[in-house]
Amino acid sequence: MADSSPNILLSVENLKMHFPIRKGFGRKIVGHVRAVDDVSFSVCCGETLGLVGESGCGKTTIGRCILRAYDPTQGAIHYQNGRGQSVDLAQLQGKDLISYRRELRMIFQDPYSSLNPRMTVMDIVAEPLRIHRIAEGREIEDRVAETLRKVGLRPEYMRRYPHAFSGGQRQRIGIARALVLDPRLVVCDEPVSALDVSVQAQILNLLQDLQSEFNLTYLFISHDLSVVEYLANQVAVMYVGLLVEVASTDELFQSPKHPYTEALLSAVPKTVPRRNPQRIILKGDVADPANPPSGCYFHPRCPYAIDRCQTEAPALREIGPGRKVACHLAEQLKLHGVETS
Amino acid sequence: MNTSPLLEISGLKTHFFLDEGTVKAVEGADLMVQHGTTVGIVGESGCGKSVTAYSILQLVESPGKIVAGKILWQRPEATGGDLLDLAALKPNSREIHAIRGGEIAMIFQEPLTSLSPIHTIGDQIVEAIRLHRPVSQEEARRQAVQMLQRVGIPRPEERLDNYPFQLSGGMRQRAMIAMALSCHPSLLIADEPTTALDVTTQAQILELMSELQNDFGMSILLITHNLGVVAEMCDQVVVMYLGQVVEQADTVTLFNDPKHPYTQALMRSIPKIGQRRRGRLDPIKGMVPDPYNRPHGCCFHPRCDKFVPGLCDQQEPPLRKLKSGGMVRCVLYGE
Amino acid sequence: MTTEAPQSIPTPRVEAPREVEAQVFVAPQWKLVWWKFRKHKMAMVSGVILILIYLVALFADFLAPFDPGLTNSTYLYVPPQSIHADFGEGKPGVYVYGVTSTVDPVALRREFTIDPSQVIPLKFWGRGWEYKLLGIFKTNLHLFGPADPAQPAYLLGADRLGRDLLSRMIMGTRISMSIGLVGVFFSLVLGIFLGGISGYYGGSWDQLIQRLIDFLRSIPSIPLWMGLAAAMPLQWPAQRVYFAITVILSLIGWTSLARVVRGRFLSLREEDFVTAARLDGASQPRIIFRHMLPAFTSHIIASITLAIPGMILSETSLSFLGLGLREPVVSWGVLLQDAQDIRSIATAPWLLIPAIAVVVSVLALNFLGDGLRDAADPYTR
Ligand SMILES: Nc1ncnc2c1ncn2[C@@H]1O[C@H](COP(=O)(O)OP(=O)(O)OP(=O)(O)O)[C@@H](O)[C@H]1O
Ligand SMILES: Nc1ncnc2c1ncn2[C@@H]1O[C@H](COP(=O)(O)OP(=O)(O)OP(=O)(O)O)[C@@H](O)[C@H]1O
Ligand code: SF4
Ligand SMILES: [Mg+2]
Ligand SMILES: [Mg+2]
Repeated sequence: MADSSPNILLSVENLKMHFPIRKGFGRKIVGHVRAVDDVSFSVCCGETLGLVGESGCGKTTIGRCILRAYDPTQGAIHYQNGRGQSVDLAQLQGKDLISYRRELRMIFQDPYSSLNPRMTVMDIVAEPLRIHRIAEGREIEDRVAETLRKVGLRPEYMRRYPHAFSGGQRQRIGIARALVLDPRLVVCDEPVSALDVSVQAQILNLLQDLQSEFNLTYLFISHDLSVVEYLANQVAVMYVGLLVEVASTDELFQSPKHPYTEALLSAVPKTVPRRNPQRIILKGDVADPANPPSGCYFHPRCPYAIDRCQTEAPALREIGPGRKVACHLAEQLKLHGVETS
Repeated sequence: MNTSPLLEISGLKTHFFLDEGTVKAVEGADLMVQHGTTVGIVGESGCGKSVTAYSILQLVESPGKIVAGKILWQRPEATGGDLLDLAALKPNSREIHAIRGGEIAMIFQEPLTSLSPIHTIGDQIVEAIRLHRPVSQEEARRQAVQMLQRVGIPRPEERLDNYPFQLSGGMRQRAMIAMALSCHPSLLIADEPTTALDVTTQAQILELMSELQNDFGMSILLITHNLGVVAEMCDQVVVMYLGQVVEQADTVTLFNDPKHPYTQALMRSIPKIGQRRRGRLDPIKGMVPDPYNRPHGCCFHPRCDKFVPGLCDQQEPPLRKLKSGGMVRCVLYGE
Repeated sequence: MTTEAPQSIPTPRVEAPREVEAQVFVAPQWKLVWWKFRKHKMAMVSGVILILIYLVALFADFLAPFDPGLTNSTYLYVPPQSIHADFGEGKPGVYVYGVTSTVDPVALRREFTIDPSQVIPLKFWGRGWEYKLLGIFKTNLHLFGPADPAQPAYLLGADRLGRDLLSRMIMGTRISMSIGLVGVFFSLVLGIFLGGISGYYGGSWDQLIQRLIDFLRSIPSIPLWMGLAAAMPLQWPAQRVYFAITVILSLIGWTSLARVVRGRFLSLREEDFVTAARLDGASQPRIIFRHMLPAFTSHIIASITLAIPGMILSETSLSFLGLGLREPVVSWGVLLQDAQDIRSIATAPWLLIPAIAVVVSVLALNFLGDGLRDAADPYTR
């Protein structure tokens, strides 16, 4: 699977991230939260991969593993660096890693906790420049001003502290911090979830403009399917630490192949008054990643489950060009997507 | 069937008097809830949706006060059937205590803030029942089990002895609903009941709420910022901006033919599922002004793309009735 | 493409600039803390009182009219002589009445009565006993004192050796108020270091340190102090005893500070802006000192302020029990030692006056600490 198509910027293979659960006096490990359990996918240069799934399914964990905020338990993260070499980010340590921190950046969900309230906008955005010693003195200021302008903020405000800005503006500051190092891959972890509806559109447009201008590649994490549909080329759907379906956006939304994707799509409230006759209501709750069910993790809630699903875990397999599904019944089922309006 | 509305709010103003200035959290809210219907309040964060709801139940926190307006509440036959102005009641009068939880129940966005963490679910529901009804402990407990079962909590007898933190988010919200409905209120105010939940859980809860509405015949005042939720749940919609109701219409009309420039812009700006990529989104320019300095005239005029200079920024347009039955607060729809 | 961004440039909240707002927007943390603190009236008043107390401590020997160690066998247990003023022509200005002593024939005790016929004028900027101002300049200038240094002027009375209580209290301020500071300084160093390790690294270090704290806290403090104090050799010089006492006090005091530091570290470690700094490639010292520490300096200052009163009270009670500082060192606790038995309190109730000083300073520190704690995090939404 280590495909070396020159277009692939990032390819994650069998990534696992298990968090130990510790209890008691000796802090003994009594189990593991399988936050990410054997996930593989790849992202093409200049494209956007949308990662969707419900709360706690491991989206953020994947993003943070790729950026090496966490040390993955297992797996490889092949990254095609600026000089055309492929490196495994999962193996890098210390100094080697630091240089990749320039090329892979992150935008956070919470525009409040992600900016240090005690630093001015200038200091926040300049911090990566200073750490990597990319610029000095006036040059730092110029770079910061230029980046702020790029994200639609006035450079005159760079002496201000974050508390002077609204949620949307703070998110722009966060984007400026990510972009000031001219990154190649940006992990956007729910960048608009905390924003007002009317401001969401501003930020989504900005992200799109920046992508086309600087040829950025996004890993776009979200639980909002309409946002993902708007922004992503490819979509990967997660359920309890596993990918259940990967497809191009159009295919996924038109004809999902996994029952969970279908349920997810059908659960999104549509902005068409009273027109949702056969919505699929799933039974029960999302499984606990510390103690997942046997077989297919989705089987206790799946309306199509057969006996085999209880015992045998389906692998993520290719069922068409660029289309992967983890369901025993992928070929048989006729599932509904969203109607195009 | 009674034809007079169950709840009618007119000209409500609720202000917070802080050191920094006066926050006009609600500055002219007008809405009507008919028997057995669902009315949605939509608007962005901070536009006064929650404060409106709190005002109905006289739950506004201390620097805040209802400074004007009427909240007419049609009491059910069982408690006299008279018309009561809730805005005129004292925040801890006997009447309002009887109405809170008894005739009007409320559920909140974050169940943990309204479920006490140190009491079991069962104790809290039993207490809620016995506060409003003269029933024995055992009878109340039996009713509580029934309610939990009704809201789809599996093994309700066991769950009764759980603490809120032992339940998942969706289960907690169900328990909240069970508690709210345990006294069969005639109005349920739901303040963002699904915002903290996942889409699939949200679908479960919304489904449950419409089912229960059919069973109990109550009205629902649904507060949300999700236009999709409104479209699916509501008969009537009220759009709020900066503490004011700017448009009110029935759901179909509102979505097919929004009148107020704010509603129109809001509809255009959100990405809708099933729309595919169509270039850029069409955002509303600028941002919500901060509550201390409200713009003069129509409070939306700095962001409005149909702004009429010399008119919109001069005086505040009133909420006018339209032929279609809705209401809108905009100079473009004068007589 | 983005050149058309002006269309989406938000009109910032400052478009209608209000001077005050613009100031708030560029205000660093300490300014915000100060603005918030300023609203706390009690804390402000307490702050002023404390500044005064520490000024007294600093210039104690200049303010004290008499040498605190000077005994005078003619004036044992002289009651307070109140101040009078008369600024007429040829009048003495500020003065006190003198005292005459009589021997009670029944109790065979010497008693003093104020004698209005004797006038002892007081003099400002007078000369008195010799001392070193701020420990450097040798001088004998005093703020005030009897015009004739040999005459009695016991504004707060005298003790059993005829020493001036006022002068001793003023001198005691020095030790009593500084033992709190020095003790807290030691606990601060220990607390930040151990609490920081505990919170930042977590794991088994955290476990170890937490258990140590639990252990130290489970020891009843008075018996522990008594034990440690009793272990001090009697022949130790005063300075060494003083130092030993502060160390003993801070041995207990660091635990609560370590808890505060650990808690802040634990919560900050999870904050997104710290993760962001890590992803920026910041080194560990940079993360700690640039991103994390500023976030709780104000919390630490507040905790310190709240810890000082405990230290002052401990010193007072230890000395009162005779286990802490001893004569000839002068501290409020040592002064209160004289007020231990009923008899001396009955004959000389003014010996209790140092307790007022203890109460006032402890209260002021507590109010100040409360105010600081409330203002410590000006960013809560
Ligand atoms: N540092 C950690 N230690 C232990 N468990 C963790 C840690 N981080 C995440 N988890 C667990 O891993 C699982 C996945 O978490 P993650 O934050 O990746 O979910 P998510 O998909 O981003 O959810 P959300 O939509 O709520 O942000 C959760 O069950 C969470 O409790
Ligand atoms: N206790 C309070 N003290 C001061 N101001 C308040 C208080 N409660 C609400 N406000 C102000 O009143 C305004 C309206 O608040 P409200 O909570 O009703 O908004 P909302 O529409 O419910 O928003 P959200 O979607 O965020 O819940 C806001 O500007 C808010 O700052
Ligand atoms: S009144 Fe004017 S400014 Fe206000 S919404 Fe209508 S058109 Fe726009
Ligand atoms: Mg997440
Ligand atoms: Mg609200």
